[in-house]
Amino acid sequence: MVQSAQFAHSLEGWFGFLPLWGWAAISAAIVIYFLALPFGGLATYVERKIAADMQDRIGPNRVGPLGILQFLADAIKMLGKEDFVPKGGDRFLFNLAPLFVVVGSCTAFAVLPLSKYLIGADVNIGVIFILAVTTLIAPGILLGAWASENKWSLLGGLRAASQIVSYEIPVALSILPVVLISGSLQMGQIVDQQGWTLFGENPATFHFWNAFHNPFAFFAMFILFIGGLAETNRIPFDLPEAESELVSGFNTEFSGMRFGLYALGEFCDVFVMSAMVAALYLGGWHIPFLDIEKLGFALPTALVAMVHLTVFMVKTLLVVFVVMWLRWTLPRLRVDQLMGMCWKGMLPIAFINVLGTAVWMWVFKGQSMMQLLAGHG
Amino acid sequence: MDLVLLLAEIFTVASAVIVAFHPNILYAAVFLLFAFCGVAVMFLFAGADFLAGAQIIIYVGGVTILILFAIMLTQWLYKIKLVDIRNKMLLPGVLAIGIGFFLYRALHQMALSLPKLTPEALDKFTATPKTALMGQALLGSYLLPFEAITILLLGALVGAVWLARPE
Amino acid sequence: MRLRVSTAVETGFIAVFWFMIISGLTVPLMLGVGYLLRPKGKNTRRKMTSYECGEEPVGSAWVKFNIRFYIVAIVFIIFDVEMAAIFPVAVVFKESIANGTVALVFSEIFIFVALLLIGLIYCWVRGDLEWVKGVTKFAPNK
Repeated sequence: MVQSAQFAHSLEGWFGFLPLWGWAAISAAIVIYFLALPFGGLATYVERKIAADMQDRIGPNRVGPLGILQFLADAIKMLGKEDFVPKGGDRFLFNLAPLFVVVGSCTAFAVLPLSKYLIGADVNIGVIFILAVTTLIAPGILLGAWASENKWSLLGGLRAASQIVSYEIPVALSILPVVLISGSLQMGQIVDQQGWTLFGENPATFHFWNAFHNPFAFFAMFILFIGGLAETNRIPFDLPEAESELVSGFNTEFSGMRFGLYALGEFCDVFVMSAMVAALYLGGWHIPFLDIEKLGFALPTALVAMVHLTVFMVKTLLVVFVVMWLRWTLPRLRVDQLMGMCWKGMLPIAFINVLGTAVWMWVFKGQSMMQLLAGHG
Repeated sequence: MDLVLLLAEIFTVASAVIVAFHPNILYAAVFLLFAFCGVAVMFLFAGADFLAGAQIIIYVGGVTILILFAIMLTQWLYKIKLVDIRNKMLLPGVLAIGIGFFLYRALHQMALSLPKLTPEALDKFTATPKTALMGQALLGSYLLPFEAITILLLGALVGAVWLARPE
Repeated sequence: MRLRVSTAVETGFIAVFWFMIISGLTVPLMLGVGYLLRPKGKNTRRKMTSYECGEEPVGSAWVKFNIRFYIVAIVFIIFDVEMAAIFPVAVVFKESIANGTVALVFSEIFIFVALLLIGLIYCWVRGDLEWVKGVTKFAPNK
C-alpha cells in the first residue's frame, strides 16, 4: 500500500495512540508552526543580515545574540500597529486578500519532501498540487491591491498578477523534464529516484540528481529558478513592489499584522520555490554519492529522517541564499523587458528543454549521464 | 469524511448562488473563485486527483484572473449595482430550471448505466492515481480528440490575440 | 462518490485539508491578537485617505489600465490548458520507452509543442508580445 501521508505514518509509528487523521492534523500543525511561519520570520532577519554583510554594514544586532530575535521584535511591533482600511476601499476584499496569500503559500508545504519519512502529504499529483495552490497567491494580491483604492497598489497588483501568470508557463514547462525523467508527479518518488551511491549497488531506477541527468535538464533547472524568482516577486522581478516607482506596490495600504502576513506569505513562497528547485533538480534529501539507507547496516528511521531533513534544508537554504544574494547583485527589469524575457526568452528555451529531454530519454533508453558513465545497463 | 464532502457541496452551491445574485460584479467574481475551489474539492472526492489540480490551475489561476482583469478594465462595471435583475428573473429562472432538469435527467441516466461497485472497490478506485491512466487514455482511444484540442487551442490563441488587439 | 477516512489518509489528501484549515485559521488568529493589542486611534478624515505621497488623492484609484495585462492573461490561459493536457502524457512517457510505444508518445508531445510554438511565433511576429504599443489609456477618470 502506498503510504502517502508519510509524516502522519511516521508519527504513528513512533508514538502510536492516536488515529492517523489525528496525526495528520498534528503533522500539518508542526510543519506550519515550526517550519513555514518561523522560516518566514527568520528570513526577514537573515535577509537584512545578508544585505548588511554585502554592503559592509553590521545589520540588526540589538535584540538577542547577533540580533537573531529581531523578527520577534518586528512581529510584536506589527501586532501593536494601528490597522485600518482606507475610506474608499473595500473592507471585505481587503480582509480577504491576506488569507489567499497565506493559505496559498503555506498549503504548498504539505507536499514538500522534507525527508523520505516526513512528507506531510505525498499526494500523487505532487508537483501539480504545488502549482495549483500557489496560483491562489495571484488573485489574493490582485484583490488586495484593488480593495486598497490606491493607485500605487492597483498598479503593483496588476503587475504582480500578470507577472505571476506569465511566468507560470516557463515554470510548469521546466517541471515537465523532471516528469519525463521520473514518470511520476509524486514528490517522494521523484526525489527517491535521484539517489546515487559509490558504496554499494545502485538500483536501475537511481540516476543521480535530475539536474545532471542530461544537459537539457540542467538548463531547465535555471529556467525553473528564474521563473520562481518572478513568481515570488523577488529582485530582479520585483516590479510589483518597486519602491522607487510605486512606493510599496500592492501592499502600500496594508499596515500592521496585515502587512506582516503578506511578507510572511511571500517568504514562505520563496521557500516553496527554492524547495522545488532542491527537490526536483538537486536531489532533495540525498547526500551526493552516499545513500545512508544502503550503508550495509540499518539506522533507526528517526535518525534517517533527521539526516534527510538536514540535507534537504541545507540545499533549500542554499537556494534561498542565492535568491537573497541576487537582490544585491542585479538591477530591476523594466516591465516590457520582463514580459519580453518571459515570452520571447524563457518560453522557447523551456520548450526546447522539454523536447531535448524527451529525445535524450528516447535515444539513451532513459539513462542519465551518470548511468552512462558508470556503464549501467 | 462524508461531512467534509457535504460541507464542500454546500460551500460550492452557496458560492454559486452568491455569484448569481450579488449586485456587485467584483464580488460575484470572487465568489466564482470560491465555487471553482469547491468544485475542485468535489473532484478530489470523486477520485479525480489530476482533474482537481488542473481545475485550480486553469480556473482559479487563469480564468478568475482574466475575469478580474476584465472587470477592472471596464471600471464602470464596478460602480453600477445590478439591481434591476430582480425584476427580470422570470425568463432566466424558467430557463435555468429547465436546463437544470435536463442535466439532472442526463446525469441520472448515466449514473444508472454505470457498473455498481462495492464500497471496497469504490475506495480502491478513489485511491488509485489517475494521471497515468489519463495519459494512456489520451494515447489510446482519445488520440484524435487530443490532437483536435491542439488545433483548437492554436485557433483560440490566434483568435483571442487578434480580437484583443487595441486598434 | 464517497471517501472514507482510511482512503483519504492513503491518498494523503486528509493532510492537505488539515494544512488548508490550519493555515487558514492562522490569519484570523494573528489579526485577532493584533486587534487585542493595538491602540484604537481616532479615524480622522486625513488618516483614512489613501496614500498618494502626502498629496490629496486625485480622483478615484480605479482607473483604466493598459489592455496588455488582459492580453497576457488570455495567452496565459491557452498555454495553461496545454500544460494540463500535456502532463498526463508526460507521465506515461517513461514507461512507453520500456514497452515500445515511445515513438507515438514522442510524436504526440512533439506535435503538441510544435503547434503551440507556431501560435507563439504568430503572436511574436505580429507584435502582440511587445509591451509598449500605441497609446495607453491611463488617465484618472473624473
